[in-house]
Amino acid sequence: MPYILNTPEDIEKMLKEIGLSSPEELFNHIPKETKIDDLSLIPERKSELEVSNTLNALAKRNKSINKLNSFLGAGLYDHYVPCALKHLVYRSEFYTSYTPYQPECSQGILQAIYEYQSFICLLTGMDVSNASMYDGATSLAEATSMSLRINKKNTIIVAKSVHPEYREVLDTYFKHSDYSIIEVPYNNDGLIDTNALETLLENNISCLIIQSPNFFGLIEDIHRVSTMIKDKNILLIEVTNPMSLALLKEPKQLGVDIVCGDGQPLGNNLCFGGPTFGFLATKKEYLRQMPGRIVGKTEDSEGNVAFCLTLQTREQHIRREKATSNICSNESLNAIAAAVYLALLGKEGFKNAALYSLNNTHYLIKRLKEIKEVNFPFKTLVFNEFAWRINGAREILKKLEEKNILAGVILDKFYPELKDCILSCCTEKKTKKEMDDFVDTLKEIIHG
Amino acid sequence: MGEIKFTKTHEWARINNDIATAGITDHAQSELGDIVFVELPSVGDEVTQNSQCATVESTKAASEVYAPLSGKIDEINEELVNNPQLINESPFDKGWMFKIKIKDRTELDNLMDEATYKEFIEKESH
Amino acid sequence: MDRKLIFDKPPTSYNNTDFFPPSLPKINNAEEIIPDKFLRKELPLPSLGELDVVRHYTNLSRLNFSVDANFYPLGSCTMKYNPKLNEDIAQKNEFLLLHPYQDEKYTQGALEVMYELNRILCEITGMNQFSFQPSAGAHGELTGMLMIKSFHSLNKEKRYKVIIPDSAHGTNPASSAMCGYETVVVKSTPSGLVDIDELRKKTDSTVAAMMLTNPNTLGLFEEQILDISEILHKKGALLYYDGANFNALMGIAKPSLMGFDVIHLNLHKTFSTPHGSGGPGAAAVGVTKKLCDFLPVPVVDKKGNKFYLKYDIKHTIGRVKSFYGNFLVILKAYIYLLRIGRKGIRRVAYNSVLNANYIKEKLKNHYIPASDKKCMHEVVFSCVKQKNRGASALDIAKRLIDFGIHPPTMYFPLIVKEALMVEPTETESKSTLDNFIKVMIEIDKEIDTNIERIKRAPSTTPVGRVNETKAARFPCLRWEKPGE
Repeated sequence: MPYILNTPEDIEKMLKEIGLSSPEELFNHIPKETKIDDLSLIPERKSELEVSNTLNALAKRNKSINKLNSFLGAGLYDHYVPCALKHLVYRSEFYTSYTPYQPECSQGILQAIYEYQSFICLLTGMDVSNASMYDGATSLAEATSMSLRINKKNTIIVAKSVHPEYREVLDTYFKHSDYSIIEVPYNNDGLIDTNALETLLENNISCLIIQSPNFFGLIEDIHRVSTMIKDKNILLIEVTNPMSLALLKEPKQLGVDIVCGDGQPLGNNLCFGGPTFGFLATKKEYLRQMPGRIVGKTEDSEGNVAFCLTLQTREQHIRREKATSNICSNESLNAIAAAVYLALLGKEGFKNAALYSLNNTHYLIKRLKEIKEVNFPFKTLVFNEFAWRINGAREILKKLEEKNILAGVILDKFYPELKDCILSCCTEKKTKKEMDDFVDTLKEIIHG
Repeated sequence: MGEIKFTKTHEWARINNDIATAGITDHAQSELGDIVFVELPSVGDEVTQNSQCATVESTKAASEVYAPLSGKIDEINEELVNNPQLINESPFDKGWMFKIKIKDRTELDNLMDEATYKEFIEKESH
Repeated sequence: MDRKLIFDKPPTSYNNTDFFPPSLPKINNAEEIIPDKFLRKELPLPSLGELDVVRHYTNLSRLNFSVDANFYPLGSCTMKYNPKLNEDIAQKNEFLLLHPYQDEKYTQGALEVMYELNRILCEITGMNQFSFQPSAGAHGELTGMLMIKSFHSLNKEKRYKVIIPDSAHGTNPASSAMCGYETVVVKSTPSGLVDIDELRKKTDSTVAAMMLTNPNTLGLFEEQILDISEILHKKGALLYYDGANFNALMGIAKPSLMGFDVIHLNLHKTFSTPHGSGGPGAAAVGVTKKLCDFLPVPVVDKKGNKFYLKYDIKHTIGRVKSFYGNFLVILKAYIYLLRIGRKGIRRVAYNSVLNANYIKEKLKNHYIPASDKKCMHEVVFSCVKQKNRGASALDIAKRLIDFGIHPPTMYFPLIVKEALMVEPTETESKSTLDNFIKVMIEIDKEIDTNIERIKRAPSTTPVGRVNETKAARFPCLRWEKPGE
C-alpha cells in the first residue's frame, strides 16, 4: 500500500487502544445515506513503474515547444531557465514545507521570500511588494480592488490593449458588484487612445489600467498617461512583463501607483498555463491596502536578524470578511524560483536575456519586412512580440505548422477587428537559423 | 477631570463640558496585546454612538473601535501614529484616541459608570 | 551562520552571459532600438557566481522544517507525504514546455490528464463536472460563490446573505465578502457541531447559500448534514462544501449524497501535491447538474476520441484566472490517484482518521479535547489546563520545535480557547505518532518542573522567538541599497 506506513499490526494495536475492532467503526456515525458502496469506476492501483508507463504514453501525445519552432508569446514566454534553478527550488526543504507561520523553523523560506519581494521592488522601483498572487490576471483584479478601497470611487477604466484574458477575469470579479468597467480603445498605432481617454476622465474614476508592453508588444508612454490623470485622485495601475523591466524604466518613476503582472518569465516554465505567479507592488502609502502575505525583517530576543510574516491583520485568517483579500495559499515556490532565477543570471545575465529577446524580435520584424505581402498594422516600438498581417493568415499558419513552425497567435480570436493579424514573439532562446527558417518558409508558402 | 463613562464594547469617554475624550480601556488593550497600528477618524468627521469610527491592530488581531457618543471629531491624538504602544502603556491618559464634540447629552445615559463596567467585565469573562 | 541577504554579498562574477549564447552576430544596445526616455538607468541586481548562489539557497533551505524531514501535523493543511513519482513525471518537457495557446492537436496528452482527473473526482464525490481553473482553496471558494450568485441572479432572486458557522476558516467569510455577500454567523453547539435550531431560524429566502466544511474545523463530522441540507434547500438556498477536510471522507462518503450543490477540493491537501512553502496549490471546483451551466470556461471535454477545450457554457461566470489552471498541480493529483487506486483512497480515510483518534485517545488525559465526540482526521485540543499552569498553546507549540516537530495549527478554530489542531495524516507511522505523544506528555510535565525552558523555546533553532510586534510596528519589507 503506497505511502501508508501503518502495518496491519500497528492498525490492530491502535484500534485496540481506542476500543474498536475495525477501521470501518470509525465511520459508524456517518449517515448511511451519504456512504459510498461502489467505487468500481475508479481504476485499481498501479505500481510505480506502471504509472510511469501510463504517463509516458500520455506525454508522447503532447508535442512541446522544444520540438517545434515556436513564436508563441501572448502572456507566457519561453525563456532559458538555468539548470541550477531546479536543484535549488526543488530541494525538499522548500517544496515540502508550508507557509512560514512558525518563523523560528522557516527562516529559509522567509528570507527567500523577503529577497523575492526586494527583487520585485528593485525591478519596479516600488516601495513594497507582496509575497505573490495566483497569476497576472488575478493580481490585476486584486490591484483593482485595492484601488477601489483606497479612493472609494466606483468606476474602473481599462485599456483594450490589456491582455484579453486579464480583462475577462476583471469582468468576472466585478460583474456582480456595483462597480462599472469602461474600456478605452487603442488607436491606429496600437497604443492607448489618449483622445478617447481624455473624454472619460471624470469624477468617479477610481483607477486607470494600462499594460506596457501591451498585448501587441508595444511600449506605451506611461509617463504621458500619468500626467493626464494627475491630481484627479485616479490611481494608475500598470500591468507589465517583469522581463521587460531589465531594460525599461521603473514603473514608479513613470508615475504608476500599483504595478502587477505575471512573473512567469522569471525562472518559471510554460507548464501549459500554470502554475505561474502574479506579482503586485506599490507605494508605501498604500501598504495597508495591499493584499497577500508579506514578509518583514525584524529580530529575535538576542538581537539576531530574523524574518516573519507581518501585517497579518490585513489577511483573511484575522480580518475574515473585512480582509483585503481572501487569498491564503499563494504561488510561493514559483516566486522563490523567480528570485533564484534573478540571482543566478545576475545583473548582466538578466539584462542579456531581455536584450537578446529585443534584438531577436527586431531582427524578425526586419526580415519579415522583406516580404511585400506582409504588412504591420501598428508601429513597431516593441519589446519581445509584435503584430503582423497577411492575407489568409489562418491558412498560412496551418501551412507553417506542417513545417513544424508555430508562427504565433491569431489575433482575431481576441480582437475580431484585427483580421488576418498574427502576434509573434522572440525570446533569447530563438536562434538566427530558426528565425531565418520561419521567414524563408513563409516566403516559399506565399510564392510556392 | 470630568466623569468617565464606559461602553459595552470597551471604550471609555471622559466628559469635559461639551467635549468627550475617548479611547479603549485597559481591559481591551490587554486582550489585544502589543498594539502596532491605529487608524483614527479625521477631524470634522461626524460619528454616531456605537458605530465604528476607528481601528486598533495588534500582530494577531484587529479590533473595531466604536464611538461612545455621537458628534463631530474635534481632535485626534497624532502621537499614536508613530507610538501606537501608548495605548498599551497608558490607555486612559497618553493613549487617548480622539475627542468628540458631543451632539446629544442624553446619550450619556446609555453608558456605564466605572463600577458597572467593572462588574460587566467580570461577568463577561465567565 | 552567515545570514547575509543575497544583495549584501560582494559581487563574485561579472558577465554571466554564458547561460545562453547571443543569437545574432551583432547585438544592438537597447538605446539603439528604444528611445532613451523609456529606458532605465540602472539595474541594481547582484552579480554572483553559480556556487555562491547555490550555497546561498542551499543554506537557506536547511533552515526550514519540511514534511520530508519533520513530522508536520499542521491541522487543516493535510501535510501528507508528497510522492516523488509525481515530481519526476511533472518535470518532463512534454508537460513543462507546453504553451496553452498551442493547437489542441499538440496537447492531447495534457487535455486527457484533465479529462480523466475530472472523471475520477466526479466518481469519488458524486459531482457532475469539475473546473480546475482556481489556483487555491480560497480561489475555489470565490469561484463557487460567484456561480451561486449567478444562479440566483438568473432566477431573479434577491439573496444577499451567506450563512457560515462560527468555526469556519477565515477564507469563507472573506470569499463571500468578495462577492458582495453579507455574512451571517451560526453558532456551534457545546459539542462543536452546527446548531440546527439556530440555523433553521436564520435561514430564509434572503439567504443565498451556506458554506460548510465537513468534517468541520474541530475535526467532527456534521452528523445532521442531511437536515442541514434540507433546511437550506427548502428555502431555495444552496449548500457549498469547503473540501479542505476531505481527507477524512475520501472513498467513504460522497458530498453529493450529503446534499452539497457545489464543492471545492484542495489538490495540495487531500491529493498529495506539495505545499511549496505556501503554494502553488489548486482547487477542483465541482458542481451538480444545477450549476453546470455556470462553470468557468474553459473545461475539457471529449468528442469521439479527441479532447478539446469547451468554451460554450451557457451561463458561465467567465474566467477566474488566465489559461486553464495550475496544470502541473492537476497532473500530480492525477498521478497520485492512479498510484493509490480504488482501495487506496479508502485507506487514506481509514488511516488518517485512525491516526488522529489514536492521538486523541493517548493525549486526552493530558490535553482537553475540544469535543467529547469521535473526531475524524484531525483532533483539536484546548490547552486551557496548561495555560492555567503558566504555558499557553503558543509556548507548547514553540517547545515542540525543539523536538524537531513542526507545531500543530494554533488558535484555530476561534471558538476553542488555546487551541492546538493536530492533523497527522495517513502517511505517518505509529512510531512517529508515539514519539509525538511522548513529547507532548513530556512538555506537559515540564510545565511544572522546568517552565523556563518552555517559555524560552525554541532554543535549538537559528533564531529564537521572533519579535513580531517590531515587525508590524516598524515594517521593513525589502532590502534597501545603503544610502537610500
